[in-house]
Amino acid sequence: MIKVNTTVTKPRKSGADVAFVVCNTLFMIAFVVITLYPVLNTVAVSFNDGTDAVRGHIGLWPRIFSIKSYNTVLQKPTMKTAAIVSVLRTIIGTVLALATNALLAFVVSRKKFLFKSELSLFWVITMYVNGGMIPYILLFKTLHLSGTFWVYVIPGMLNAFNMLVMRTYMNGIPDSLEESAQLDGAGYFTIFWKIISPLCLPVYATVALFVAVGQWNSWFDTMLYNRMEDKYTTLQYELMKLLNSVTSNKGQNSSTNNTTQQSTVTPVTVRAAATVITMLPIICLYPFLQRYFVTGLTIGGVKE
Amino acid sequence: MADTNDTMVQSAPVKTNNARRRKRKPGDEFKTPITVKEMKKQSFLLGCTALFVIYGIIFNYIPIIGWLMAFQKYTPKDGLFGSQFVGLAKFKFLFDDEVFLRDIRNTLAMGIINLVTTFIMAIVFAILLNEIKNTLAKKCIQTISYLPHFLSWIVVCGILHDALSINGIVNDVIEFFGGERFNFFMYEGWFWPIVAFAQNWKETGWNAIIYLAAITSIDPCLYEAAAIDGAGRWAKIKYITLPGIKPTIMILLLMNVGNVLNAGFEVQYILGNDVIKKVAETIDIYCLTWGVSKWDYSLGTAAGVFKSLVSIVLIVIANMLAKRAGEERLF
Amino acid sequence: MKFKKVLALAMAATMVASFAVGCTGNNNNNGGGDVQDIAVNDDGTAQRIETEGITDMTMFIAMPGSEINAGNEIQEIIAEKTGVRVKETWLTGQTAEEAIGTIMAGGDLPDFMDAGDGSTKLYEAGMLVAWDEYLELYPNLKEMYTDKQWDNFRMSDGKIYWANVFNNTYGAPKSKNHGDEAFWIQCRVLEDAGYPTIETMDEYFDVLEKYYDANPTFTDPAGNVIDNIPYTILCDDWRYFCLENAPEFLDGYPNDGSVIVDKSGAKPTIVDYNTTDTAYKYFKKLNEEYNKGYIDKEFATQIYDEYIAKLSTGAVLGMIDQNWDFNYTITPVFQQAGLDELGCNYIPLGITIEKGMDNRWHTYGDTLNMASGVCVTTSCENPNLAFQFMNDLLSQEIHDLRFWGVEGTDYLVDADGLYYRTEEMRNKANEDAYKASHYCMYSYFPQWGGTSRDGINAMQPGDQYSEFVEGLADPVVKVFEAYGVEGYAEMIGSVVEENEPWFPMYSYSNNIGTETAGGVAWTKMGQTKHEWLPKVVMAADFDTEWNNYMEAYAATNPQDFLDEMQVELDRRIEAAK
Repeated sequence: MIKVNTTVTKPRKSGADVAFVVCNTLFMIAFVVITLYPVLNTVAVSFNDGTDAVRGHIGLWPRIFSIKSYNTVLQKPTMKTAAIVSVLRTIIGTVLALATNALLAFVVSRKKFLFKSELSLFWVITMYVNGGMIPYILLFKTLHLSGTFWVYVIPGMLNAFNMLVMRTYMNGIPDSLEESAQLDGAGYFTIFWKIISPLCLPVYATVALFVAVGQWNSWFDTMLYNRMEDKYTTLQYELMKLLNSVTSNKGQNSSTNNTTQQSTVTPVTVRAAATVITMLPIICLYPFLQRYFVTGLTIGGVKE
Repeated sequence: MADTNDTMVQSAPVKTNNARRRKRKPGDEFKTPITVKEMKKQSFLLGCTALFVIYGIIFNYIPIIGWLMAFQKYTPKDGLFGSQFVGLAKFKFLFDDEVFLRDIRNTLAMGIINLVTTFIMAIVFAILLNEIKNTLAKKCIQTISYLPHFLSWIVVCGILHDALSINGIVNDVIEFFGGERFNFFMYEGWFWPIVAFAQNWKETGWNAIIYLAAITSIDPCLYEAAAIDGAGRWAKIKYITLPGIKPTIMILLLMNVGNVLNAGFEVQYILGNDVIKKVAETIDIYCLTWGVSKWDYSLGTAAGVFKSLVSIVLIVIANMLAKRAGEERLF
Repeated sequence: MKFKKVLALAMAATMVASFAVGCTGNNNNNGGGDVQDIAVNDDGTAQRIETEGITDMTMFIAMPGSEINAGNEIQEIIAEKTGVRVKETWLTGQTAEEAIGTIMAGGDLPDFMDAGDGSTKLYEAGMLVAWDEYLELYPNLKEMYTDKQWDNFRMSDGKIYWANVFNNTYGAPKSKNHGDEAFWIQCRVLEDAGYPTIETMDEYFDVLEKYYDANPTFTDPAGNVIDNIPYTILCDDWRYFCLENAPEFLDGYPNDGSVIVDKSGAKPTIVDYNTTDTAYKYFKKLNEEYNKGYIDKEFATQIYDEYIAKLSTGAVLGMIDQNWDFNYTITPVFQQAGLDELGCNYIPLGITIEKGMDNRWHTYGDTLNMASGVCVTTSCENPNLAFQFMNDLLSQEIHDLRFWGVEGTDYLVDADGLYYRTEEMRNKANEDAYKASHYCMYSYFPQWGGTSRDGINAMQPGDQYSEFVEGLADPVVKVFEAYGVEGYAEMIGSVVEENEPWFPMYSYSNNIGTETAGGVAWTKMGQTKHEWLPKVVMAADFDTEWNNYMEAYAATNPQDFLDEMQVELDRRIEAAK
């Protein structure tokens, strides 16, 4: 594609196009610098000495180098279990979510389906209504999901947002494919599995990324449903416990309560180290999914 | 050119065997009549639907029981089913308070500003990134762009607050150009733009992923054909890329319209201060002050119910408009 | 299809029903106050319960804190000696109120809890075990408070459900520290001024101004030239007490938090410190200093991290703050950067509005916040063992293990029997990784301050005089010598007296809800103060702005709140009789 592009357009490359490329390159450089700054800053802080970091104003390089913060994070004995559980929930959760959301999206994207609109509405509403934490606690207790691994992957499996993203993509696939398959005697499942899914890899990759990142990053469910269960603890929850989330600190309204017995200030460096540790696996995962976004998958070959 | 494009990406209904021909307004959907024969034919789809509905009822609809709390004086002691009902008292409390009304305004304003800016930024970024022809550069930029998504708000806001403080880098630049150093966080007018910037800073790359995926569905032949016709970069973006991702844009726009009242909590909480509280406080912060931190669990639920109702009304209207315009819609 | 819809409906209904059952089931195990069969010795104390192996228990603490590692060394030693190992879980990512609400809704409570302000909710829900009978069986627990003090913990049913574990002194007080709020000033400023007596705000700011005029900058040990900041005020969110509550202290009252209790009349009455002449004078002085340029221009918008960063450079000459809010964080930074030797450490001053008044910035007696403490829940399968464990934790041997560590490893004993630590041990004790794998303080379980049962050592290392002196920088020692005092508390020179029975009133106002007019007023007063106080300090025309503030303040009906506080005050006085 690139080849075609260059050979064909080269002789007629206009001034406007050159200006466009220059501006675009400049824009991207500026963009990269601005977005990279907080990330590199976090890395620098994570490698800085904890005591010194209190003074703030660390730029892109640690002022006093130290790997103590990483020691603090990684020395927790629970980290190993936590990492295994996190990886498992990410894999199982992603596979389950991908399969179910794709199937649901497939169903609601069938033009002839009888309850297409109703089923969509049913799921769209779920995006905007939320009964709060307490009913979920009661529900999962009733279903015996609390205190198990499954509480991580079953409840959030189907998600209207992911479903709609997939549906939109599937809607873009010409109906003629489905029709010709039907003429050949294919059932709906075959159409889903053999015809639609192979064309949807980019959007599957997108949703897989969303779900995987969500699973990898979530800690709130661990805290609510497996607060004391060490065997189902997750990496993010372990890190959160280490960080003493600032929100909870700020939520205290007892302005004059002087019984704070222990210093609860977690070094910013530990916070940064935890962030870096979380980001690393995702940075590694990304290139595998990225090829689906960057190289255009051609569906031209199967068009009418 | 526009023609080819249309048939390619749009979900416009295609003639089918049992579709009765009739005149259709744009966006008007074709509906299969419910017959036993048709149901039999769609048994797989219907079976799946049943499972999905049961799942949805259990995990998404039953917990709405929690809304009972909005009409109760909920205490942990009596629980969801034993607490005393107080009718609309919690709603009355909220809407009698000028501060709450002010906070609705703030939330709405920040929600809309954030929606518009993050939306445009993500699309622009995705399209411009797609124009980078060097694959390696493209991959690198994309990876970098979405990294800030994994930083917590406390980190991002900390850096931002530092940069904008009197001795921060922004004021250094202002002074360099002969301006006077000033405190950005003292002026009400600056707060909303700062919040919008923080949102874009953190999420642009992440939000762009969906559009990048959508762009891949565009047939490369179209670009080739356009190039032969002598179309420049702008023309290609305008006539191929944008229309190609339009359904995705529409669907995300519709979904986000329902979220304007969820302008957030953490950013405003961390960046806000007492001097500019008038513009910085959101509904969620209000609920923390008056609700949870006063052991009143019901107030937050009441505000949540209010937000949900507004969201549903908004998406229904937006969906209707989309239908009328013949665009991709939610349901 | 219709059939399926019906089916779905039926399923939903079943769910709802089972839900309701699951829910009501939670409240069944009420009234776990009775002691199960337990063998008693001749002296009326309980016979030891011998357990097979080690029993694991859990505890939730509604405060952020650092979790210790599984397999923690001292935790294992204590487990072997007591037969119990407790896994502590701290507040994470939620407010205390949310956490308590969700834990209660779930119904499976940990064995022990410190629910903070939520303790009352647990009591109301019947989820706590009463202490009364156990107290008779376990002397170490009973010893924590006098009968009269224990009575303060009694709930509406006349029973005791928790005990505050902090601020409880055994024998003579050992601490030389000032843990609370004060006007702080750097050693170098005092030294430069020749160690003057500073009693009022005017004197305080005079000293700061003179120093700043002569030394607008200083050079830190790393060679950076840093601008001095004469005075800054932290007013970030709940930490705005650094701006807000000084008027109560300036008038010579103790830290009742939300109100002043005036004892001058026939009966103690509640007074609002926000509207007194003193409040006016205090804010007028701040306004004057602000307009003269001696107060940090950025004070109103700085967030806590920035404030700490500013203090850490050594640039800030003075401010009001609670000791725990800044000193733990910045002291190690000063040591590392060598700023402590430059005299950047802070000395607390007991300032009052007029010369020669009594001050009560430092509270000598124990501040007994009876609104919360450690409790045993009805989910605990063996409450006897739980109480026995708490009793064991107070024995001197285990108490030393908790706070001093292992003898020979964490501290040494000299010929006189005094405990001391080497420099290396002290550094080790401050290391996060070592703390997590070695120390097990069980810090929200019953504990003592003051003097050890051996009569010479301190219960907690920080209070040991040798440890205290060892940690002082030279300029601080010079200050103490110049003023002829032994420590920080003495430096402030507060009145030494018994606390009043109603003290502290904040244990009530911190828990006030929004159901009553007083509670609504209290929240609104807070909001108004948040909004106006920075404005008042920064105003170009102070009196106009002050009047506007007073008008806005009056509109929040503070009297409703004060009336409610008066009722509570009367109740406490009555209860103490």
